[in-house]
Amino acid sequence: MNAAVAVANIGLGLIYTCYGVMTIIDLKNGWRTNGLSHFGLAWIAMAFTCGPHHLEHGLHAGFAGGSAGALDLLAVGLGAPAGLTWFALRVEALFGGRGDRFIRGTPRWVSILPWLAVAYAAAVVAAIGWILSHGVHMTPRITPNILLLFIYSLIGYYLLRTQLNNHGPAGGWSLSGLALTIVFPTCGVMHAIFAAYAVSGSYAVESHGLVIDWLAVPAAIYFVWVVRALHLGTFTDWNDGAEGALPQVAIA
Amino acid sequence: MTAFPGAWWLSAGRDSTAVRLVAVVRLAVIMCIAAIGSFAAPLHGHTARFLLVLGLVGVPWSTSVFFCADRPDNRIAVYGGPIGDLLMLFAAQSLLNNAVEPVLLGYLVLVAFTVYTAGRSFAALLVAAAIGLTFIAHEIGPGNQQLRASITIPIFIGAAALVPLLERTTALQARATAQSERLRTRADTILTHVADAVFVTDTTGRIVLCNPATERLLRLPAAGITGSPCSAVVGLRAGERVLDCSTGCALLHHQAPEGQDLWRLTTGERRQPLLAEAAEVPGADGRMEVVHSVRDITRLKQAEEAKTLFLATASHELKTPLTVISGFASTLLKYPDLNDEMRLSAYEAISTRSVELTRIVERLLLSSRIEAGRLEVKLEHVDVMPLLRERVASYTASMHRPVTLHTSDPLPLAVANIPALTTVVDHLLDNAIKYSPGGEPIEICAAANEYALDIGITDHGVGMDADQAAHCFDRFWQAESTDVRRFGGTGIGLYIVQSLVDAMHGRISVHSAPGEGSTFTVALRRADAVPPQQPRVEGEATSIREFMRQIGVPERNRR
Repeated sequence: MNAAVAVANIGLGLIYTCYGVMTIIDLKNGWRTNGLSHFGLAWIAMAFTCGPHHLEHGLHAGFAGGSAGALDLLAVGLGAPAGLTWFALRVEALFGGRGDRFIRGTPRWVSILPWLAVAYAAAVVAAIGWILSHGVHMTPRITPNILLLFIYSLIGYYLLRTQLNNHGPAGGWSLSGLALTIVFPTCGVMHAIFAAYAVSGSYAVESHGLVIDWLAVPAAIYFVWVVRALHLGTFTDWNDGAEGALPQVAIA
Repeated sequence: MTAFPGAWWLSAGRDSTAVRLVAVVRLAVIMCIAAIGSFAAPLHGHTARFLLVLGLVGVPWSTSVFFCADRPDNRIAVYGGPIGDLLMLFAAQSLLNNAVEPVLLGYLVLVAFTVYTAGRSFAALLVAAAIGLTFIAHEIGPGNQQLRASITIPIFIGAAALVPLLERTTALQARATAQSERLRTRADTILTHVADAVFVTDTTGRIVLCNPATERLLRLPAAGITGSPCSAVVGLRAGERVLDCSTGCALLHHQAPEGQDLWRLTTGERRQPLLAEAAEVPGADGRMEVVHSVRDITRLKQAEEAKTLFLATASHELKTPLTVISGFASTLLKYPDLNDEMRLSAYEAISTRSVELTRIVERLLLSSRIEAGRLEVKLEHVDVMPLLRERVASYTASMHRPVTLHTSDPLPLAVANIPALTTVVDHLLDNAIKYSPGGEPIEICAAANEYALDIGITDHGVGMDADQAAHCFDRFWQAESTDVRRFGGTGIGLYIVQSLVDAMHGRISVHSAPGEGSTFTVALRRADAVPPQQPRVEGEATSIREFMRQIGVPERNRR
């Protein structure tokens, strides 16, 4: 169990950290023409707390005798395909590719996603209930995990709302959007499971992870604040549209 | 609307920056205490409970207040923040050992900034609430709680005294802040909406402030403009000389009262004519700064040049047939006994030139209607083949030039207007014939795809280079605008063509190469085509923009 949890978390940690580096490159390239992006900064801050969180958890589980549970593996295992899809699309875009795929209509595998999500949530709630039934020792060390559960769920809600709004006019779904919408709630669930194991006494919350999780809280709050400000129009970021199209001219 | 009686005047002129600052500090302090506290071990009993309350209630609450503080005079930020602070302090008094008296200092700080951010009435309410909560905490808190009168009474008297003292100071400051805020808002609104670029330079010639029009003029974001030297970013020039700002603003010292005609080179090395003015203003630190007002007069200059050129070319174009008509008319009057053959020849010349003159005048009138926005085209389902065949036959007969029609029959019906489409085809055929003076063949090709019907008119004449092709649809634009004009014309033909195609919801494009000729392609909507759904199948190039798109950040067209 420990080895599987370690491998899954180290893999995910490396992906998120690489993703943070990619976003730094994007920010650096666009800084001169578009100015500073608070959205980019906040996203980098989140990637550099999510990535190290998974790396730390994986390294502790794999090499330092840390605890690892089955639910932990399940959460990472279900979130990983979406995370990998999003990452692969971003790598594709970095090398000049399309960076997204349009899914026309609502194919069967998309239509069962909500049912899967409900089943997953119910299973997780039941499993957490079972874990907590063995005894609860509330500790302030789980505070960042609970806060992150709510913040990541909120971000997931924003993403889901946009996908649902776009679905009608576009007549389909964006693969990139669906992947991202799945990533955030599963991240939140991972923190909830971690908190459940911690209060049940199965996990010891080590200081390294606690530092990273407490850094993730202001990063996530900053991100939500930026998104909210962009929706309210309090400030503009890199969301300036392109200029109007010119008449088509082709020169031999 | 108000949270409690009297709140309407409490909120008036509140310092929203202070509210925001307090919200940030509150969130940071609560989060730091919760984070640092969570590292302490062992964590059981009252301390653990307090830290859990702080983390799970204090952090979300202070985050909500921080978000609400984005909006000036938001009631949750102004009043909800201090209420949350009061409850957090009460939690500390009730849950921590020996905390009742030390936390009184926290109440004192809370009252002090609440007077400033929410007003004296609200602060007085907080003082009263703090007294009550302190006694409750003393009763329900853990054992060994001390509440000595010698400490408690002076602190509460101090808090009560702070309220009117701070209120008096802050009321004066609030009025000044409100006035300054109004003036700043007014100035910002004016600067944001003024069409001219306005920017301010400091004593070293660096730009310290600029408005959105400056960003549009320089095609740079504000972040790339502010802090940069004016001479490097703007680079004003008079004649062929760059203005020397090394010893102060050159524009300020040498400008004409009505502004100075200057220019600058754009990033695309294009000459951009400008009208600029400068004036000295005292800066925030008392040192003199220079405010520049710059207007891009490129369009004005282009319009002036185009109209001058148009007057010259139109006069020339009108004069040629008029001279012929006038000459033959005079001849007929002067020599009434001309033989029939000569008389017929004169009538034919007058008739031909009259038709030419009518066509020029019609083009001018159509151009004027388009410019005035009075072009109305009624769209219908049109079979373009008979129209194309008729125009080809007519041109072949009248111009004695080979015009070939290639089609893939049967063509679907197109959404168009017959007179407008006839004008478009005639203009493009005229153009093709005019710019292929060697008698090269002209070809018309009509073909349909899934959504549109394309009509391409190709000549193998002189062709155009990239710059000419990019401007060929501009009004009054001509490939040859110098004195040596080989082809004549008024420069409005292609402008009319594009306007008519647009009115038919079509598109026109040009493919050209110097010496090889040009192909103008008019794409008209198919009558039977369902408007194509154009789902966005490509992600954004950068991760930042892609995430923005997926989370629904609205796009803005600022520049």
